[in-house]
Amino acid sequence: MLYLLNGLQLVYVVFLSPLIIGIFIKLTEKFESKKGPSIFQPYYDLYKLFHKQSVVPKTASAIFQIVPYVTFSMYLILTLVLPIITAFPLSFGPIVDFIGGGLIFGAIGVLKKIASLDSRSNYSHLGTSRTSSIGALSEPIIILIFITFGVISHTNNPYVVNNIMQTSSQWYFSLVHWFVVFAFFMALLIETGKLPIESHSNNEFGMIDQAIEMEYSGSELAFMKWGGYIKQFLLMSIFLNDFLIPFWVPMKIGLGSVLIYSFVHLLKMLSLVIVFAVIQSTVSKYKLFKNFEYVAVAFTFAFLAILVYFTTGGSL
Amino acid sequence: MKEAFVMVGFLEITLVIFMQWQVYLKKIVTTFSLSSYAISIFLFVDGAVLNNTNLLVLSALTAAVRGFFIPSFIRKKFRKEDYLEREIKSVVPTAMSVVLSLFFVVVGYIVYHATLYNSVGLPGGSIPIALLFQGIFLIMSRNNAFVQLIGYMVMENSLFLFGGYLFPELPLVIEGGILLDLNSSGSNRNSYDFRHYYET
Amino acid sequence: MFLYYLPLIVTVLAAAICFVANDKISKISTLASASVSIIFSLYIWVLNNVSTQFLYIDAISKIMLVTISIIYLTTAIFSGSYFKHISKPLLKKNLYWAFLNLFVLSMFFSVMVNNLGLIWIGIEATTITSALLVAIDNNFASIEASWRYIIIVSVGLVISLVGIIFIYDQTHTLNIAVMLKNHVSESRIILIGSAMAIVGFGTKAGIFPMHTWLPDVHGRSIAPVSAIFSSVLLPSALFGIIRISQIIPFEDIKQFMFILGILTILFASIFMINQKYYKRMFAYSSMENMGMILIGVSLGKAGLLGAMILLVSHAFAKSSVFYLTGNILSVYKTRKTAHVHSLVKNMPYTAYGLILSSLAVTGAPPFAVFIGEFFIISAVYRIYGFAYTIIILLALLTAFLSINYKVAKMSFSERNSTQKTKDEWVSALIPLINLTLSFCVLFAIPAINNILKGITG
Repeated sequence: MLYLLNGLQLVYVVFLSPLIIGIFIKLTEKFESKKGPSIFQPYYDLYKLFHKQSVVPKTASAIFQIVPYVTFSMYLILTLVLPIITAFPLSFGPIVDFIGGGLIFGAIGVLKKIASLDSRSNYSHLGTSRTSSIGALSEPIIILIFITFGVISHTNNPYVVNNIMQTSSQWYFSLVHWFVVFAFFMALLIETGKLPIESHSNNEFGMIDQAIEMEYSGSELAFMKWGGYIKQFLLMSIFLNDFLIPFWVPMKIGLGSVLIYSFVHLLKMLSLVIVFAVIQSTVSKYKLFKNFEYVAVAFTFAFLAILVYFTTGGSL
Repeated sequence: MKEAFVMVGFLEITLVIFMQWQVYLKKIVTTFSLSSYAISIFLFVDGAVLNNTNLLVLSALTAAVRGFFIPSFIRKKFRKEDYLEREIKSVVPTAMSVVLSLFFVVVGYIVYHATLYNSVGLPGGSIPIALLFQGIFLIMSRNNAFVQLIGYMVMENSLFLFGGYLFPELPLVIEGGILLDLNSSGSNRNSYDFRHYYET
Repeated sequence: MFLYYLPLIVTVLAAAICFVANDKISKISTLASASVSIIFSLYIWVLNNVSTQFLYIDAISKIMLVTISIIYLTTAIFSGSYFKHISKPLLKKNLYWAFLNLFVLSMFFSVMVNNLGLIWIGIEATTITSALLVAIDNNFASIEASWRYIIIVSVGLVISLVGIIFIYDQTHTLNIAVMLKNHVSESRIILIGSAMAIVGFGTKAGIFPMHTWLPDVHGRSIAPVSAIFSSVLLPSALFGIIRISQIIPFEDIKQFMFILGILTILFASIFMINQKYYKRMFAYSSMENMGMILIGVSLGKAGLLGAMILLVSHAFAKSSVFYLTGNILSVYKTRKTAHVHSLVKNMPYTAYGLILSSLAVTGAPPFAVFIGEFFIISAVYRIYGFAYTIIILLALLTAFLSINYKVAKMSFSERNSTQKTKDEWVSALIPLINLTLSFCVLFAIPAINNILKGITG
C-alpha cells in the first residue's frame, strides 16, 4: 500500500508541476488582457527540448553535464519525503526532517551554481553572484522559520507539524503561527522567483535564477526547467500543508482518502496560484538592491514570531 | 485583554517596521495614522472594561491629535508640494535599518525582563519599551523633518500604552499626555517651516 | 503661604498682558514682572523652607529662583535693545515677550514644585515655550537649530518620563517630600529608572550622550535667548537631576553622574579647541560648566556647595558673554572668530567686557567661578583620587586656553578695517552689570553656604 502511495505521490508531483506553472502563466497573461499560451505550454516546451540536440560550451568540464541529472534526482528524493498528498510519513519519510530538506535544497543550489560557474559564461556568473547574495540572506529566514516550528512542535518533522496544525486550533490561531506564515510567504516569493524580486524576461537586469541555466540546451535544459517546476510545486505544497491551510490532508493510510485529497490539493494549489498571479500583476519589480530590504523585512517577521512566542508566555 | 494587548502591540511593532521600510512619506503618514487609531481603540476598550476615565481621555487624545490632526496636516502640505513626498536620503541603509529596528525590539524585551517584569508581571509589557526604542531609532535613521516628527509621535504612542495600560493609576498621566501632544503639534508647525526653508 | 506663589502669579499676569497688549505695554509689563519677581525671590530667600502638597522650596530652589529672576530682568532689558537687529522676526514683538514670560514661568514652576512628575512637566514646558524663541531669527539655520532642539530634547524628556515611571513603580508616589522621608530602598528598577531620568534631564542640560542640540541652538539663536538658555535653562534641567540625586542617594547613581560629568567636560574641551564660530565655542564652554556642576552635585557636601556657587556665578558671567557676542554680531555681521578683528579699537566696552567675562567663565581666580571649581576639584581629589583630578584639570586648562586665546585674538589683532562704531550704552551696560554680579557672588558665598547648611551638612 505504502509503495503504491509513494509511486502515486511521485507521479502526482512530477507530472502536475508543469501544469501549475502553465496555469500561472496563463493567469498572469489574462490579467494583462492578453490571450496567453495554453496551460499545457510547459509540457510542449519540455517535449520540444527533449528532442533537441544539446550543445556544451568548449570550456566546460563533466560537472556541467552531470548536474542537471543529479539535481533532478535530488528533487525526486525531496518529493518522497515531504507531506504533499499524505499527512503520514511515506517509506522515505524518516530520512530527513525540515532541516534536512532545507539542506537538500541548499545542495541543489550549490550544484547548480558550480555548474553555471563551470560554463564560464558571464551571464551565468552574474546569475550565480546574485543568487548567492540573496540566498545568503534568505536562507536564515527559512532556518528561523523551521526553528520556530521546532519550538512549537518539539520536532522538525514536517508530518508532525502538519498533524499538530490540523488538530490544535490553539496553535493554528496563535499569533506565532501567523507571523511564521507571513514570513514564509515572503520567503516563498523569493524562492520561487516571483515578482517583487525577479521578473522572468530576457532582460538581464531582472534575471536572477534563470541566468544560471543560460548555457544549457537540449535535454539538460529540459531537466533543469522541470526541476525548477518541481521545486516550485514542492515549496508551495509545504507552504499550504504545513503553514497556511493544513486541513483535510489524510492522516490515516487509505487509498481513497489520498485520491480524494489529491484533487483537493490541486484546488489549494490553484487558489495559491491565483494569489501569486494577482501579486504578479499588481506589484512592480524592485530594483536589485531593494531586494535586500525585502529580505530584511521577511527576516524581521520570522524573528518576531519567536519574540511573540516568548512574549505570550512560551518557553523553551 | 492581555491577548488584545499583545495583538495590538505587535501590530504596532510591525507597523513601525513597515514605516522603516517605506520611502514614500505619504505611506509612512498613513501607516502612522492607522497605528494611532489602533492604540486609541485599544485604550478605549480597556478603559471601558476597567471603567477608568484616564484611559478614555488618553484614547480620545490619541485618536484626535495623532490619529487625525497631525497626519491630516502633513498630508495637506503634501498636496501643495508633491515633490516633497519622496524622501531622498536616509542616514542608515534601509535594509540595515529594518534589521536594527528589530534589534531594538529585542533590546526592549531584554530591558523589560531585567527590570520591570518582576513587579509588573505582564509578559507583554516589553512591547511599549520596544516601541520606544524603535521610535528613537526612526528619528535617528532619517533626515526628514516629518519622519522625525513621526518617530517622536511613535514614542509618544508607546508612552500612552506604557503609562495607560501598565500603570493606569499613575498620577499626571493626562497632564503629561496633553503636554506631549502640545509639543508635537508645535513641532509639527516648526517642521513645516523647516521643510519650507529647506526647499527654497 | 501665598507669598511663595507670587513669582508664578506675576509672570502669568505679564504673559497674559503680552498676548493682548501692544509692543510697548508688553515690554513694560515684562520688565515690571521681572523686577517684581526679583524682589519676591529675594524675599523668599529669607523665608523658611516649605513643603506643602504643591510646593517644595529648599535652599537649592531659593538659589535657583534668585538666579532665574535676575537673568530674567537683564535678558528683558537687553532684548529691548537688541530687537532692532532682527530684520524679519518669526514672531510679533508682543508674542516674543509673552513667550519669554511663559518660558521663565515654566522654569520658576519646575524649581518650586513638590512632585517629580510636575518637575518633568515644567521642564517639558520650557521646551514648548522656548522653541519659537530659538527660531526668532527666521532663517534656515535658526529654524533647523530649533527643530533639532525640539526633537532631541523631546526624545530625552520622554526617556526621563519612562525613568520617572520606573521610579514610581517602586515608590508608589512622586511627592518629593514623601520620597525624601521614606528613604527609597535600593533595587535594580530604581537604579535603571533614575539613570534614565538623569540621561533624559541631562539632554536638556547639555550633558554628554545627548548634547548635540546645544551648540547649534546657542550658535544660531539671538543673543538674549542664548544668554537665558545658557545661564538658567541648563541649570533648571540640572535641577531635576539634583532632585533625583537627593531622593535616590545611592553610590551607583552618584558614580554614574560623575562619569557623565567627566565625559561632558572632556568632550566639550576637546571640541572647543577647533571651533571656528565664537558663539558655538561659548556654547561648549557652557557644556563644560554644566559637566562641572554635575560632578559637584554627584559628590555632595562641599562638592554641592561648589556646584551651587559655580551655577550662580556662571549664570551671570555666561549671560554677559552671550550679550556681548550679540553686540559683536550686530556690528561685524559674522559668526566666524577669524573674521573679527580689532575689537578693542572698534568697541572698547564690549571688548574689555568680553575679555573679562571669558576669563570669568573659564574660571580665572578673582571670579566666583574659580571658587566653585576649586571646591569641586578638591572634593574630587578627596573622593576619587589623583588621576581624575588631573583629567579634570587638564580639560579645564584646555578650555581656558582655547577660549581666552581666541578672545584675545578677536580683541587685539590689528586689521585695516573701515568699521567705525560706538558701543550703545544699554547693550554695553547690561553685560557689565552681569559681569559685576558674577564677581559679587564672591561675597555671597557665606550666604550660600549658610542657606545650604541643611543639605550639605
